[in-house]
Amino acid sequence: MRGDDLVRDRAAHFVARMDADDWAAADEAALQTWLAEDPLREGLLLQIQAQWLALSPPASNVAQSDTEPPAVYEPSKIARRGILVSIAATAAAIVAGVRLNGGPSEYTTRVGEIRRLPLPDGSVVTINSGSNVTVAMAERTRAIELAEGEAWFEVAKDARRPFVVAAGDVRVRAVGTAFSVRRRESGVEVQVTEGVVETWSDYDHTLRVRLSAGDRVTLTARAVVDYETGASTAVDRSLAWRSGMIDLNGRSLADAAAEFNRYNARQIIIADPEIAREELSGLFNINDPEGFARTVEASLGVKVDSSASGLIRIE
Amino acid sequence: MSLSYRDETNARIQEGTTPGEAATQLAQRRRTATWVAREIVPHEARIRRWLARSRLPSEDIDEVMQEAYFRLAKLPSVDHIDQPLAYMFAAARNILIRRLKRERVVAFSALSEIENWHDAAAPTPEEQAATRMSYERVMAIIAALPERCRRVVELRKIEGWSQKEIAAHLGMTEKAVEKQVWTGVRAIREAWGAVEAQGEAVMSRDRSEGVSR
Repeated sequence: MRGDDLVRDRAAHFVARMDADDWAAADEAALQTWLAEDPLREGLLLQIQAQWLALSPPASNVAQSDTEPPAVYEPSKIARRGILVSIAATAAAIVAGVRLNGGPSEYTTRVGEIRRLPLPDGSVVTINSGSNVTVAMAERTRAIELAEGEAWFEVAKDARRPFVVAAGDVRVRAVGTAFSVRRRESGVEVQVTEGVVETWSDYDHTLRVRLSAGDRVTLTARAVVDYETGASTAVDRSLAWRSGMIDLNGRSLADAAAEFNRYNARQIIIADPEIAREELSGLFNINDPEGFARTVEASLGVKVDSSASGLIRIE
Repeated sequence: MSLSYRDETNARIQEGTTPGEAATQLAQRRRTATWVAREIVPHEARIRRWLARSRLPSEDIDEVMQEAYFRLAKLPSVDHIDQPLAYMFAAARNILIRRLKRERVVAFSALSEIENWHDAAAPTPEEQAATRMSYERVMAIIAALPERCRRVVELRKIEGWSQKEIAAHLGMTEKAVEKQVWTGVRAIREAWGAVEAQGEAVMSRDRSEGVSR
């Protein structure tokens, strides 16, 4: 049932996102990717969206978008902007793409897009496909929010300004080090490639793990789900996306397909659950699902149908 | 083993979802959801109760409903559906029958109940009262939300402001407003679940009185 809760939360998240006025191509791509994992999700999404829309009291749900908010809103907006401008002056000069109001900068990558983002403090964030990262640099803190997806952080040393990544209720803190954070269905996965990081749950402060290079952990707000130490090779493999590759080492075909589907609009579907359990190894180009399918066809002796433009069927 | 179609594939990915397409998809989804909100959501509890006669566990009923909604989501338009509720009942029924057949353990009573779905589609006045989300109920749900979330949901759903306007008014980031809306969406989903449970009681009373024709 826990998994269902996560799926419902995610659906509700998309409904809230659609309720805002800035639905972008990246949002649509992220939603499509999520929906592709299970057809029932599309039904759930419609249900939750309709439940939210059904809430409007009868009298006020007509022509509401034309209603101007009352005048109070103008002065408060101006006052706020005044304060922010002074902060913005220092930050905007350094960060490319920062918004004029000086607030945190948000970066979204589309499906298939991997982006390297240098930060003003000298740190570099490499953002994986279909992810959303918000960066807020202040005098005493470096706060990053990973709302979705995965990113790898190479953190510049600055002991006075802790570098903290928030992913839901999970926090990851580093002084000068390199690590990745990924939001998965099962929890937040943290992998360390260099130095030491500390990760904890903001919900339960007793839940705290210290990790060194080659360690990886998956944790949720309430529990450590998975922990592995001395796994440098495995960590490097799972971060192969940084150089545009997918490195499979004895992963099941189902896992491999899910991995390709993260990066490509053209989705791989495995029709036979028996085949989905087959294991494979190899290094593949991240945006070549067809090449991957051909390799699978040759090595496992299965049939691949790539006649449709939107998907590749392995049967 | 690595192949180098990289640039071509990249070009194709870029075309994957254009801003225009995203807007079209969004508008389409909103249209269907608005229709479902009006025609189906207030009656969902009835469909669920009717499904429950087949003695399906409630998680399975969730799945049947989701699959029925999935079918609606896949329709390019819902304009041609004259009797939305009957349509939904029929969809749920087909999905249920397929499911029961697959499980091969079809209780005799389950199947005969399924054939009675036309009765179930016509609500009694009590049922209507129990399943309709009244104005008072809406206000009660909103009032029970945590403070910050309640402010945002009130402005969004009662005043009809956009998330952007709310953000400016309350001095929050748009992302933070969206987060509160997210909490609101989840609370409202739970509230609808409670409406279903409430309707359940009314229904079992009904059945003991009249359905045994």
